[in-house]
Amino acid sequence: MENVIELRNVNKSFKGFQLKDFSMTVKKGFVTGFIGGNGVGKSTTINLIMNLLQPDSGTISIFGLNYKQHEKEIKQRIGFVFDDNIFYEHLTLTEMRRIIKRAYSNWDDNLFRYYVEQFELPLNKKIKTFSKGMMMKASLTIALSHHAELIVMDEPTSGLDPVFRREFLDVLHRLMENEDKTIFFSTHITTDLDSIADYIIFIDKGQHIFTKESTQIEEEYAIVKGETELLDADTKKEFISIRKSNHGFEALTANKSRIEEMFGQMVLIEKPSIEDIMFYTKKGAEWHV
Amino acid sequence: MCNLIWKDIVLQKKGSLILLPALFGYIVYNPSYIWIGFVFSVVIILDVFAKDEDSAVNKLLNSLPYTRREVVSSKYIGAIIFTLLVVFAMFIGGLLFHREVPAWKETMLMVSLSMIAISFILPFLYKFKTQYIFRAFLFLFVVYMIVINTFIKNLNDILREFVQTILTLQDPSVFLMMILSIIVLYSFSWLLSIRIYRNKVF
Repeated sequence: MENVIELRNVNKSFKGFQLKDFSMTVKKGFVTGFIGGNGVGKSTTINLIMNLLQPDSGTISIFGLNYKQHEKEIKQRIGFVFDDNIFYEHLTLTEMRRIIKRAYSNWDDNLFRYYVEQFELPLNKKIKTFSKGMMMKASLTIALSHHAELIVMDEPTSGLDPVFRREFLDVLHRLMENEDKTIFFSTHITTDLDSIADYIIFIDKGQHIFTKESTQIEEEYAIVKGETELLDADTKKEFISIRKSNHGFEALTANKSRIEEMFGQMVLIEKPSIEDIMFYTKKGAEWHV
Repeated sequence: MCNLIWKDIVLQKKGSLILLPALFGYIVYNPSYIWIGFVFSVVIILDVFAKDEDSAVNKLLNSLPYTRREVVSSKYIGAIIFTLLVVFAMFIGGLLFHREVPAWKETMLMVSLSMIAISFILPFLYKFKTQYIFRAFLFLFVVYMIVINTFIKNLNDILREFVQTILTLQDPSVFLMMILSIIVLYSFSWLLSIRIYRNKVF
């Protein structure tokens, strides 16, 4: 399968933060969700992918091309949505369109009009009067109006109310049904991923924790609940991390079938949410340290 | 890159409609083209720059299919275009109100002064924020006041004489030298700004 985004051993350090030997790939034609807490390096990674930051070391290739030689070519094929307003606030959407359309060789006014109508966006109101939801829809409209093959979004759903969020995700859903696009977006709202993500990349403290298919997560991971007496040195090894309480233990495993084999009916096995996985994986990393 | 320059002109359109009557007003009462042209050019170019200074706008421009080199170069080429537009407006104003156009030497001097000022200001702006340039202006003003009050009391006369000397110069080779050195200075500033902007974090 073709990779649209490829980061290999990327290092980037700032004062008080470091992306360490970070490698990841995003596959063509799928939706990949990029999850992690606040300040763990999601935006830094997206800025590196957008060439807004340059890595200290390591390589980044988009569509198999590098930014050094193919910057404009790559950017022609990317649509982007950031979590804050990046447009000129004192302009209207029509004026903004006039400025941005000149940058893209594939700009399509019909597509622009289609999304403006679909999102019920005002064309002649100043952008600074837009609500957060309208802002996101305007960004997405512009991102989708030049037939981009890759859509990169940094926390597009944060700050949106639940109805808006559903609408936004629906648009992405429809987009994936009809066209051969690749979507990569970061979020810390893990329920966003349940409905649309094919792949999930988990980052924590500047390190890549895992990349997995959503279905694979469902097959492999499980939340296990049982009596504390069941835990000993051997059984503990099967868990990523364990939380004990007076009522027993609750733990995350990445090997569901093995647990079923080991404990049978003695434990309760539940489907984990992505939030559970994030929580226990993070805890586990601290635990092992 | 032409798109970026075009964008600046479009964004500046409204501002120019306010500045144009002001420019004509000055020309009516005081046809000192060098000073007026210089001030208007620099003010317009600074205003153009200030509009793009926001980190969000930088994020936009650099996510669009432009290179950082183009973003900086558009400002340097745009600065020359805006200066020439001011010259054009001065010619129109001169013809309208005084039935004469500014002398070519005055125009040359005005364009040169703008280019020199821009050569110093733009790299500074790429390195620091606009708020610092006001502090820098204030600092220069204080230095200027100290110099004329304590060290060179007739600095203004010297400057005036210097301008007069340039305007009365007849030797074309001196002009050529001046133009060449300004071009070198401008190009150096241009390259320096590209260098500063290359790794800037927004």
